[in-house]
Amino acid sequence: MSRPPQRRPLDFIGIALALVIIGAYFTLPFVVQPERGPSTVAVLTESKKANELGVFKTGLEVIPLAGLGILLLGIWNVIAPAAGRAIALLTSVAGLLVVVYYINFFRNTPISPPSEWGEGTILGSLDLAFWVMLVAGALAILQILIPRSVPDERYRIRKLFGNQESVILFGLLLLIFFIGIANPRFLQERNISDNLQGNAYIAVAALGMTMVIVTGNIDISVGSLVGLLAVISGRLVVSGLPAPLAWLAPLIVGAGFGAFIGFLVAYLRIPSIVVTLGMLSIIKGILIIWAGGERVRDMPPEYFLSQMRPLGIPMPIIIMVVLTIVVVLWMRYSATGRAFYALGGNAEAARLSGLSQRRLLMTVFILNGVFIGIASVMYSTQFNIIQATPPPALELSVITASVVGGVSILGGTGTAIGSTMATLLLNFIRSAMIFINVSPFWLKAVQGLLILATVLADLIRRRRQRL
Amino acid sequence: MTDKKTGQPIPRNPTLGEKLRHLLISQEGVLFVIMLVSVLFLATRTDKFLTVDNLLQQGRFMTEVGLIAIPMTYIIITGGIDLSVGSILGLTAIVLGWTWQELGFPLELAIVTGILSGTLAGFVNGLFIVRVGVPPLIMTLATLALYRGLAEGISEARSARGYPEWFFQLGQGEFLGIPTQLWLLIIAVIVFGIVLARTRLGRALYAIGNNELGARFSGLTVNRHLLFIYTFSGFMAGVAGYIFVSRVSTTRSDMGTGIELDVIAAVVLGGTSIFGGTGSIPGTIIGVVLIQLLKNGLTLSGVTSDATIVVIGSVLIFAILVNNFIQSRREES
Repeated sequence: MSRPPQRRPLDFIGIALALVIIGAYFTLPFVVQPERGPSTVAVLTESKKANELGVFKTGLEVIPLAGLGILLLGIWNVIAPAAGRAIALLTSVAGLLVVVYYINFFRNTPISPPSEWGEGTILGSLDLAFWVMLVAGALAILQILIPRSVPDERYRIRKLFGNQESVILFGLLLLIFFIGIANPRFLQERNISDNLQGNAYIAVAALGMTMVIVTGNIDISVGSLVGLLAVISGRLVVSGLPAPLAWLAPLIVGAGFGAFIGFLVAYLRIPSIVVTLGMLSIIKGILIIWAGGERVRDMPPEYFLSQMRPLGIPMPIIIMVVLTIVVVLWMRYSATGRAFYALGGNAEAARLSGLSQRRLLMTVFILNGVFIGIASVMYSTQFNIIQATPPPALELSVITASVVGGVSILGGTGTAIGSTMATLLLNFIRSAMIFINVSPFWLKAVQGLLILATVLADLIRRRRQRL
Repeated sequence: MTDKKTGQPIPRNPTLGEKLRHLLISQEGVLFVIMLVSVLFLATRTDKFLTVDNLLQQGRFMTEVGLIAIPMTYIIITGGIDLSVGSILGLTAIVLGWTWQELGFPLELAIVTGILSGTLAGFVNGLFIVRVGVPPLIMTLATLALYRGLAEGISEARSARGYPEWFFQLGQGEFLGIPTQLWLLIIAVIVFGIVLARTRLGRALYAIGNNELGARFSGLTVNRHLLFIYTFSGFMAGVAGYIFVSRVSTTRSDMGTGIELDVIAAVVLGGTSIFGGTGSIPGTIIGVVLIQLLKNGLTLSGVTSDATIVVIGSVLIFAILVNNFIQSRREES
């Protein structure tokens, strides 16, 4: 049935574009100002100040044009399955970023200061624009890995809006383009980096939620559990436990709570929404009584996992990206992952095909507990103080992220890449509104409206697919 | 004893003992026993608990949850859910305060506008659920954020206060020695309890919850019913919002945050299946009362209010367990 991956002319266009961008980046500074080093932006900024540059004088326009090409290429490939889709999504975002950065450059608005990522390494002197270009180039090359099972080009265009991930992608692209033009500071590294770091833990919790919802269940006790596990971890390390053990403890305790919830759901047959509604109050109560409202402080410096920067890249971002990739692959290719979809799609059929519903439910809730544990460590090591109250309305953010990411609340469909993208989109929307001076009082209303719009887009798409 | 013509046993009226036994092992019966036991237990712990004054005071506090729990029972019976009720409550309160203070509406008109806006909010929920086919959980999750956002945006974090004296009658006054709003709850419970149990509308809701497609094919106007109950939910949340403002004398945009969980807990505790098809108003009200009494009784007997939420969560899970157990035994026998 499945055809072998075909190499198509498009792949080579992608590689060509990538080479153009990377090549232009390194050669142009020497063309414009031969005596300068390899930092395009620094050179360009000074040349611009000195009025030496004009549109179509230096050949610099190839960079945004190549970016545009990469953007289109990514969109073109977005209907590819699973991992290929993820690559295509990222490619188009990176392509657009190149374009917007350069539009801003020519409009004489600043691009970005030197990067904090990669500080202390050889990449440390490079700026964000370079990073984006490098990533865009690399992703364009990666396009060649995407399997081509859909030969018809017209079919491809019709299917362009065929999945929730691409709906989110277009949301993200519109956001980057319009807000990036309206207020270039939105695309500054500090803002992007802060947004990614601050919300990575929500994305990780949403991974667990995605699995739970795919099986047709739900967990509304996430917020309380994150709060409790964070305090457990903090208190352990303050009491003298080595930091790695304090990071591990929430995972184990989280798995324990998950096992308990799973037991009630799988063996005693109480609906998960009821169990977790009860657990929500129980865990919150335990947290408040036990912690007594006292914030945890004076953690040793080696405890702050979220503040670490291996290779200069903030740790939360690494964890989020790695876990998302692992979950996407695991849910798509492992037997258990497929069984989750089967269970959520049609529990009776799953039972008749010999799947143990009980074991699957136990597995999914324990896994969810572990992911909540990881999220809570990311949350508790973020700042120097751990609050003794659950993060407010976290369960709603997490469920919303999963649902907006295309996980059907009825079970059976949805991917982890969608939920992570949705977490980022929702929080970028929030940040974007601040940058275009929406009154802070109206933030939530606009956000609610956008959530509604995404859900409706998903629904209309599904309906058209059925026809 | 058999019928002479058909040979079928003639159904005889159940004896009092049978009736009692049936009542006792019904969902409401089990819950009622749990409630009695906890009330007796709490009464032995503190003498401040089982007093008329205290119980009436608790009636005041539980009215808002009780009023919203009625339509929530209807909705959950049809297999849906409404998470936006807390936000609708907040929106109503804000519209009430804003139209009165900023737009200069007479207070009576402001109250009506507030409740109408709550009703409209519920109608919008219903419209999207019915016409567009958005699953209720998702639709009301989105409007949970949207309506709260509207409340925040309209109020711009200002609170409205300084209402005239008569406005507080409903929330703080008494009528025939009983808190005014409790009358409202009692009337609502009786009327809507009868509507659910004894009318065509009520039976239709059970039919939808048991088998929506079957209900459609039997010629029930499913869409109209669903649209009605979500609008009704918005209306009741609006009324609860008005009572809330009247009780606490001020308007803030965060009013009613999280009340949806209290309401759902009470409804589920009252024996309404979250999958739809079963449930009753008496059960729901016992659930509301049980939660309120537990909260109050435990607080009075010296348990901190944070510990009470642990107890309530445990009771919720435990009650469902016991109920599951008894109902499965009943089906076997």
